Amino acid sequence: MVVTVGWYVALSVALFTVGALGVLLRRNALIIFMSIELMLNSANLLLVAFAREYGDLNGQILVFFVLTVAAAEVAVGLALVVVIFRRRKSINIDDMRLMKG
Amino acid sequence: MFAAPTLNLWVITPLIILTVWAIILMFIDLFIPAGKKQWTGWLTLVGLIPALALTLMQWGQTGGAFIAEGGQPMVVVDNFATFLNTLYLLTGILAVFISVSYIRDAGLERGEYYFLMLFSIVGMMLMGMANDLILIFLALELLSIPLYILSGFDTGSDTSEESALKYFLLGAFSSAFFLFGIALTYGATGTTSLPVILDTISLDDPLALAALGMLLVGFAFKVGAVPFHMWTPDVYEGAPTSVVAFMSIGAKVAGFAALMRVLGQGFPMWGELWQPAIVVISALTMIVGNFAAVRQQNIKRMLAYSGIANAGYILIGVAASATDPEAISASLYYMLAYLFTNIGAFAVVIAVEKLDGQKGLLVEDYKGLAKRHLLLSLALAYFMFSLVGIPLTGGFTAKFYVFGAGVTAGLYWLVVIGAITSVVSAFYYLRPVLYAFMYEGPAVARVSRGLMFVLVVAVFATLVFGIFPGPWYELASQATFGNVATFVAGG
Amino acid sequence: MTSQQVIFIILAVITLASGLVVVTNRNLFHAALAMMLSFFGVAGFYVLLEAPFLAASQLLVYIGAISILIIFAIMMTRRLMSTDESPFNSQWIAALFGTLLIGGLIIFVIVSVFSPFGDIIIANSAPPSLAVQESTVLLGRSFVDPDQYVIPFEIASVLLLGALVGSIAIARPEKES
Repeated sequence: MVVTVGWYVALSVALFTVGALGVLLRRNALIIFMSIELMLNSANLLLVAFAREYGDLNGQILVFFVLTVAAAEVAVGLALVVVIFRRRKSINIDDMRLMKG
Repeated sequence: MFAAPTLNLWVITPLIILTVWAIILMFIDLFIPAGKKQWTGWLTLVGLIPALALTLMQWGQTGGAFIAEGGQPMVVVDNFATFLNTLYLLTGILAVFISVSYIRDAGLERGEYYFLMLFSIVGMMLMGMANDLILIFLALELLSIPLYILSGFDTGSDTSEESALKYFLLGAFSSAFFLFGIALTYGATGTTSLPVILDTISLDDPLALAALGMLLVGFAFKVGAVPFHMWTPDVYEGAPTSVVAFMSIGAKVAGFAALMRVLGQGFPMWGELWQPAIVVISALTMIVGNFAAVRQQNIKRMLAYSGIANAGYILIGVAASATDPEAISASLYYMLAYLFTNIGAFAVVIAVEKLDGQKGLLVEDYKGLAKRHLLLSLALAYFMFSLVGIPLTGGFTAKFYVFGAGVTAGLYWLVVIGAITSVVSAFYYLRPVLYAFMYEGPAVARVSRGLMFVLVVAVFATLVFGIFPGPWYELASQATFGNVATFVAGG
Repeated sequence: MTSQQVIFIILAVITLASGLVVVTNRNLFHAALAMMLSFFGVAGFYVLLEAPFLAASQLLVYIGAISILIIFAIMMTRRLMSTDESPFNSQWIAALFGTLLIGGLIIFVIVSVFSPFGDIIIANSAPPSLAVQESTVLLGRSFVDPDQYVIPFEIASVLLLGALVGSIAIARPEKES
């Protein structure tokens, strides 16, 4: 028996969940950002697995664009984190009430 | 027709103009001395106005460009896209008029503000034109990343930076959901092109069901629908007001544009499946938005909840489109009317805001405004009446059409919730008006020429939509997808 | 068990376990290292899935650039590397809601994927045929082919330009006002 695409689906859903929990539970902006990166990676893994299954390249191409987007996001996000830290000496996000209006 | 038969650049000409002009403007900006950066702002219009003219010329045309696998174009222009592109460009032009004096007085005057705005508009326009989930994802990021930065543009203020970080983290979080949805869609169909998804997807595929759910979560975050609305009030409160005026319309409309296209062209046959989800989100959004707004003392937070509530009304039309694709014309008209009313309301907020230390933003600060600024107060009253939905305003006709679409689709209780929450909304919308006219107070305002222009345009447009809605609704009803889902792109 | 399965399980354990470390660890720096390990695991999967070019890009971009940037940010804000206060926030309701949502999804997908074990519904499943070299060449071509992905490619470049300009705009030192 070989590794089927179902294994990859299960793995990436698990990784996505781990990342999402990190976003919802942690209070440090950098950890939240790293958790988001885990979520993006889980989506990438899923795309590559399906691309392999279908034998076409579209999934892999989308992964490249996600890499680009992740690079753009990291630049912007870290610029914000550093600026805030410079002013406040803290980047814990609890005061910012991430999930509250 | 240009060089290659499939390379139909006419479709994306407005986008090319905006992008190229943004890059040229970066170089021009180098030679504009600090303190004269309003010129960069006015020069932004040199890109926006031709783009608007070309977009208007595209009205009535249907075409696609960049044919991808499956024979379907990556980018399409149809009346739906053209209608929405007109909205973004109008928002952009009005936002420039609002911004020039505002960012100067707030000490934020830097050329980057305008390039980023242009990039964001390109992303917004692509949201409605993209016919492929890959491109929708990139457009979403292209519109969001400049907005994250613009929200944090006030580097001297804690709240601006924090609101930007919060907006960024939740935006990236929602993008991850959206991307996972795309991955699952790809898994279920082997494609990311919306028309091909339509042809390939099978109704009993659990992957496709999960994909649709994930995509909906991503969109709900972007349009600020309950329960994914929590970023909105803080971001609106912290970000520079001119940026809020721009993104409260542009980003929301763009989110709806992609939502409508994905639901209407990728998953239309699943109408009975996603309609209940949209109905529930719409009802919750109207209820939470309106009731939470009642408690707000800060006018920007109040308008944030008002924006949430309005997303709920727009969603009525989206929900109705599950059974009748024509129903989105009501939502399109709603967004057109909302654009002018909302930007007018923000123009008043900017006029009253005092830039030294974020004062003049409480509802109480409007006390006695009518004594010194009668016309401004009347404009405020008119915009607030329009947001409540009192007759002779654009807001009234917009709600009328949306509720009508809901009734036609048989969503009676949703329309009832919409009507009741509209009554509730009078409590908070009329409070600043009441304070302005009935109370004594020290409220003062400064109306720059740019703001004056925006106020006049907004009052005029709201009045026109309130009295002669017919022709405009007719335009919106020509902007539905029609048979675009099956059109063969020839350019 | 075939060797492929063994490799899959080892990589899955590495990826998931280090992902969990990112989410639970108190020390920011350790979390960043765990994230790199997790990215490394994903790169391993790309090799397993016959996407070597992506695996290389994963190493270069995610591990080489993104992780390093994050570690830079941690260093710059290093007084927060470890704290005694609880690293978890107080959003239990939101977290519970999220957990139920995502947990429901995970169970839903796993049940539907594994009920006919590993037999997932795939629309037009074709046997993978592309040779490795061929796929890399095709990948490169399709980015600049007007009939394929040139427009997303250009949009991605505009996106990077916007992010570049924006980051500079926001992070450059404040001028005297």
